[in-house]
Amino acid sequence: MNERIEHLKQHMLEEERFASIEQARIITRVYQENESRSIAKKRALSLKASLEEMEITIDPEELIVGNRTKGVRAGVVFPESGCSWIDREFEDLPTRPQDRFQVRGEDIEEFRKNIYPYWKERSMEEGIRREYGEEIRKISRVVKINQTDHAQGHICPDVETWLKKGPAVLRQEAKTHLYLAKGEEREFYECMILVLDGAISFMHRYANMADRMSADYPEHASTLREIAYNCRDLAHRPAQNFREALQSLWFLFVILHMESNASSFSPGRMDRYLYPYYQEDIKRGELTREDALELLECLWLKFNQIVYLRNRNSAKYFAGFPIGFNIAIGGVDDNGEDTCNEVSMLCLQAQEELGLPQPNLSVRLNRNTSHELLQKAIQVVSKGSGMPQFFNDEAIIHSMQEELGVTEKDARNYAIVGCVELTTSGNCLGWSDAAMFNLCKALELALNHGRDEITGEHLCPDFGGLDTYETFEELEEALRKVIDLFMDQMIKAEEVVEKAHQDYLPTAFLSSVVKDCMDRGIDVTKGGAHYNFSGIQIIQAANLADSLEALKKLVYETHEIDRKLLLEALRNDFRGYEVLQARLLNKAPKYGNDIAEVDSLAAKYAEYFRSRLAGYTNYRGGKYHTGMYTVSAHVPMGENVGASPDGRNAGTPLADGGMSPSYGRDLAGPTAVLKSVSRLPEELTTNGGLLNMKFLPEFFASEEGRQKFEDFLRAFVDLKIPHIQFNVVRREDLENAKLHPEQYRSLTVRVAGYTAYFVELDGKLQDEIIERTGYDHI
Amino acid sequence: MITSDQALVFDIKRFAVHDGSGIRTTVFFKGCPLRCRWCHNPEGLDAQPRPMYLPNRCIHCGCCAKAAEENQLRFEEGTPVLNYDYPGSWDAVIQACPANAIVCDSKWYDRESLMKRIREDRVFFRDSGGVTFSGGEPLLHAAFLKEVMKDCQSEGIHTAVETSLSVPQKSLTAVLPYCDEIFADIKLFESAKHREFTGVGNEQILANIRVLLSSEKKDAVTIRTPLIPGITADVNNIRRIADYIGRLCPGVKYELLNCNPLAGAKYAMSGKRFSLEGKLRRFSEEEMDEFCRAAAEGNDIVLIRERKAEER
Repeated sequence: MNERIEHLKQHMLEEERFASIEQARIITRVYQENESRSIAKKRALSLKASLEEMEITIDPEELIVGNRTKGVRAGVVFPESGCSWIDREFEDLPTRPQDRFQVRGEDIEEFRKNIYPYWKERSMEEGIRREYGEEIRKISRVVKINQTDHAQGHICPDVETWLKKGPAVLRQEAKTHLYLAKGEEREFYECMILVLDGAISFMHRYANMADRMSADYPEHASTLREIAYNCRDLAHRPAQNFREALQSLWFLFVILHMESNASSFSPGRMDRYLYPYYQEDIKRGELTREDALELLECLWLKFNQIVYLRNRNSAKYFAGFPIGFNIAIGGVDDNGEDTCNEVSMLCLQAQEELGLPQPNLSVRLNRNTSHELLQKAIQVVSKGSGMPQFFNDEAIIHSMQEELGVTEKDARNYAIVGCVELTTSGNCLGWSDAAMFNLCKALELALNHGRDEITGEHLCPDFGGLDTYETFEELEEALRKVIDLFMDQMIKAEEVVEKAHQDYLPTAFLSSVVKDCMDRGIDVTKGGAHYNFSGIQIIQAANLADSLEALKKLVYETHEIDRKLLLEALRNDFRGYEVLQARLLNKAPKYGNDIAEVDSLAAKYAEYFRSRLAGYTNYRGGKYHTGMYTVSAHVPMGENVGASPDGRNAGTPLADGGMSPSYGRDLAGPTAVLKSVSRLPEELTTNGGLLNMKFLPEFFASEEGRQKFEDFLRAFVDLKIPHIQFNVVRREDLENAKLHPEQYRSLTVRVAGYTAYFVELDGKLQDEIIERTGYDHI
Repeated sequence: MITSDQALVFDIKRFAVHDGSGIRTTVFFKGCPLRCRWCHNPEGLDAQPRPMYLPNRCIHCGCCAKAAEENQLRFEEGTPVLNYDYPGSWDAVIQACPANAIVCDSKWYDRESLMKRIREDRVFFRDSGGVTFSGGEPLLHAAFLKEVMKDCQSEGIHTAVETSLSVPQKSLTAVLPYCDEIFADIKLFESAKHREFTGVGNEQILANIRVLLSSEKKDAVTIRTPLIPGITADVNNIRRIADYIGRLCPGVKYELLNCNPLAGAKYAMSGKRFSLEGKLRRFSEEEMDEFCRAAAEGNDIVLIRERKAEER
């Protein structure tokens, strides 16, 4: 990291983060001035106005410019999708527990006086609430319906085409289409032309500002003038070199966020589409490897300047402002050959040097991934930022083809959006975060006569209870009934939500960079993309499998535990039933230990859900499919589930990740975890899976250790597990394990000539091990 | 009971990354002819299954006391105190404990059931990993081990053996053809001292070393000495061992293992006392340098210094 990058990083992190109503003010005004026009037109006009009017700024040391607000990392209030929560929570933003923002008193006042009153009845959120709010609320303890108050995002736009065409060429294409278009299509292209005009103005504004600044900052004059040239050129022609390509890419993402304020637009396979520019510049002697790294690091900083303002509850589910600039490097090319180039290596180096939360860097692995790329990636993992995460071509490509009907070429070109959600590149609206379905809550209702253990409310009909099911099969049948019931209601709610996005949030600019929308004259929200999926998350296989296995074995097979007694224990959250709880925890096998019997129960119910879901078609005419990831939702999802037969206390977190075992119940080591996870068929995670693992830093200390880690990852590839990410255990983790041993039962440490479970060691010994765990030797 | 049909195993550790090359599965056989005072695996000493009590798991419910026979255990202040010499079965007590705080320290495996466990991590072994047979003393189970290692060889699984060599020569020669890598200890060169600190003299061990280092597997052998303060960690001892093996087999690999002060951690669980409690310490880099010099000077050996990152 050179001095420039160091400075820019410091400036960015020092700047206070504010909630911003600037764009909300512009949008509200444009809507009011154009009352008679359609929502699509109002949206396009207000984006154009925002691009022309929003205050902009350039840090004189920057090489890549652009942001959606003047301040960095601002929380943008975006009224069209929904802002009732802002009205409720505005004052709390600086003090709430997760993801805080500063607020200005005058902004609150203006928002309440001029902005909120206009949107109160007109936002998408309100529309959904009016039409289906009660139904969504009724199922919410089992199914969390997402995207009810913000735009969907989670899209990998066609960056390659954007770089090759730029706004001016796209605008020309839209004009040509308009010439032939009829009816509704005409408006679609008119809107597209408006927003592309806005994009062109936006680039000119940065050019002009850079020009002006070159006089004020003589020491930076030459770079500022270069910025000015680049921005001006990009406004009317495609990117022509590596630097322009990065600048052009960044403008694309800024504008996408200004249009949608959605979480996650992904640059996707950056090493592939940037490499030709890099190669050409190097060949011509116009760029060095160091220049390229500096430019990439400038872009990396930019990825950290846009954050996403979520409401208090959502911040709990998705903590830490994840905005999901997901970059996927490595992987196979169109012919199935491994592709990895100098830009892939530079991406890893930028990540290693900056260690910031964005971009969300992903490495695609396959059987032929090079030793060099893998070792470099492992080195970055060892720094402990949890990145890069790894995706598996051998699991993903095939299942995308088989389950989703994606062509071989598109499947080989998959990218990642958000955290771990899978998509094709540049031609898909995956709607990957449609809903989260809590199977553990469904089991609770099935065991408890349809009654919610936490609230006492009856959430579904009484299909029976643990006290009435004479056999395990009867219990399973009731569970399936509960799942079916809520699934049907979920689909109805999904249709309302997707329709609302079409009505309230048409996105002309996004449609210009998602394949097929332009050609078909259909907005991306209306199904204009080549692929249209909706992804539902299965929550949480580990707890469900552990619970069912305990019931099957201890209640129905050995009869060690009495059914009525267990139901009583669950209703009392095990108070007074601690021995029974210990028995449930310790005397039945648990998912994550390479025990086929229990692992297959996880697969069985996930598969039941998946195959039933596959029978539905989404509102855009595409397929529903499943994912197994929670981000941080396993905590609030767990708060909502009473005591469960796996021995878990009421309200405590469910297993993390999505495919991971429950905390501390994987006692046979990391290879056993991988074997268990590999028993979940790949088709369950076409929308993405998530597996978290922890390793001690000493593991990465030697070349030998890193080679063993490579062996581990190559086995992961062979086992066809879609995803894995690693945290490096820190001193704090061990300290925490001392205080909360129940959460760390699986944590093993090297003691003497053997490895032991940390929590089972004597306190003094634990202290010694804490003492020696650090990063000194990395 | 030592047979060729089955063997008692006190642990199978998957993802063992400290016992040789690659990712390995280490099988710990129960029973050992030696009684090294510094032994860190006390549950590997006896050749019979024994109960073990893990205090951190205990929820102090008293279920064990209800299931126990007379004289099997006392329940004092909410905590079970096991009579480790109780001759009868512990099954009922182990079954009754809801927290798995009282467990059996070992399990019987026959050839097929052990192979099944070894195969579990086959996909992780890749080119360099495999199975390590350790203990206890794996060669006490030579007849059984030979069959298992044959299977490994035919399935292309790399095998390593960690042995004290305090076994009859025929036990060594039985398994040797199937070993890809052998780690053998010489702890003390002087037999009287060896007897004092490990319970047996070293004549048998040295005789086996001669067989080993003149066999066709000699290149696959690493001789090791654990450095125990005041016992084995003595330059004279090290020099003589290095001299001896260097003459037998010029260029032989010799590894010095630094002492780990946490070696006594498992004694209490098996109801045993660690006689070196408080007497162990890790040697500094400078001290290790000195030991290494003593080993290398004038001797025809290839010295392997313990990898720094590991805590043995």
